[in-house]
Amino acid sequence: MMDVDEPPFLDLSVREILTEMKDLSEVMVDLAYAALMFDSEDIAQKVSELEAEMDNLNYAIKIKTLLAARTREDAIQLSGLLQIAAAAESISNAAGDLVKLQDVDIERRPFLSFMLRESEEKIRMGTLSEKSDMVNRTIGDLGVEAETGMRVIAIKRRQRWIYDPEPETKLKARDTLIVRGTKDGYERLADFISGRKLWPVYEEEV
Amino acid sequence: MQELEKMLLELKDTSELMIDLAYSSLLYNNHDIAEEVVFLEGMMDELGDEIQEMVINQSSQGGDVMKSLVVLRLQMAMEEIADAAASIADVVLRGIPQHPVVQMSLRDADVVISRATVASSSDMAGKTLGDVKLSSISGMFAIAIKRGKKYIFGPDRSTRMEAGDIIMARGPEDGEEYFVALADGTEKL
Repeated sequence: MMDVDEPPFLDLSVREILTEMKDLSEVMVDLAYAALMFDSEDIAQKVSELEAEMDNLNYAIKIKTLLAARTREDAIQLSGLLQIAAAAESISNAAGDLVKLQDVDIERRPFLSFMLRESEEKIRMGTLSEKSDMVNRTIGDLGVEAETGMRVIAIKRRQRWIYDPEPETKLKARDTLIVRGTKDGYERLADFISGRKLWPVYEEEV
Repeated sequence: MQELEKMLLELKDTSELMIDLAYSSLLYNNHDIAEEVVFLEGMMDELGDEIQEMVINQSSQGGDVMKSLVVLRLQMAMEEIADAAASIADVVLRGIPQHPVVQMSLRDADVVISRATVASSSDMAGKTLGDVKLSSISGMFAIAIKRGKKYIFGPDRSTRMEAGDIIMARGPEDGEEYFVALADGTEKL
């Protein structure tokens, strides 16, 4: 036996690890642009932390797939899976490189935040009104993304940030949501978060 | 906005679309979508080269060196994202039988990316996205439209669709069927 610390995430299944890696790769790019747009060191810091987490996930999936390969066919199939995992990690590294742009003095990069705000407005911020019926419901119960096409990538609650919130995360009045999606989707969501419209209720399918 | 900034935004939009398309090519094991990713990668390379040349020219003529550096780093990070997406598409294009766990992992997401061509008999042809109310009916939001070799990123309710357009949309899996049927003309408004 080698005397090494047990690497993290080995208790997860390959499926769980890959799901997490895909999810992280997407959300990290969004968070990186959000950090540049809003010039937020908090968000940039989180991206760096997630980059380290992604490294560990990639390490864990390599170990697990190597252990799982029994035959030549296994090895061929698993090589594809590892290629996907490596790509997810590259995306996360790129997100890490993006937030490093913040190390450049802000006076020297004013065009960056301006340019990103001018872009297709994929990433937007909105505050949840106490009048909204989304308050005290979870992201998963509401089905925010399925209903509005907007994905909640981060929530600011008082001084605290919740990044890449889980479906179980309950929304609170005055939460600031950072969301990603299309302009139409945001307009739809804005009606709900302001309380101008009620969240739609669907009949149970029979 | 200046030319350079427009080009950078196009790189950003393209690289983001590439990630979406790359994962969906895996989910459906779809060669056409994977080919699209490879095509976009070529576009990214060309645009990236142009940007590099442009900023190096600018700074050698007394332009702001730090700004050029920021632009170059930004371009390289987006290029890295595009390469990663192409590498995902490559798994599909090599035709390796996929490990079942890959599709299971991708299915765990709430939404899928779908792609459909507007038929001339479709109610979408000649109408705007606002006219067809795609998102309120099906939950599918158009993220990009490919018209010939051009892409329209971030279309809105006033964007008009034409026969032959390829619409890329994101939404819940149960909204996909309606979207595809409306595009090919079998479903009417």
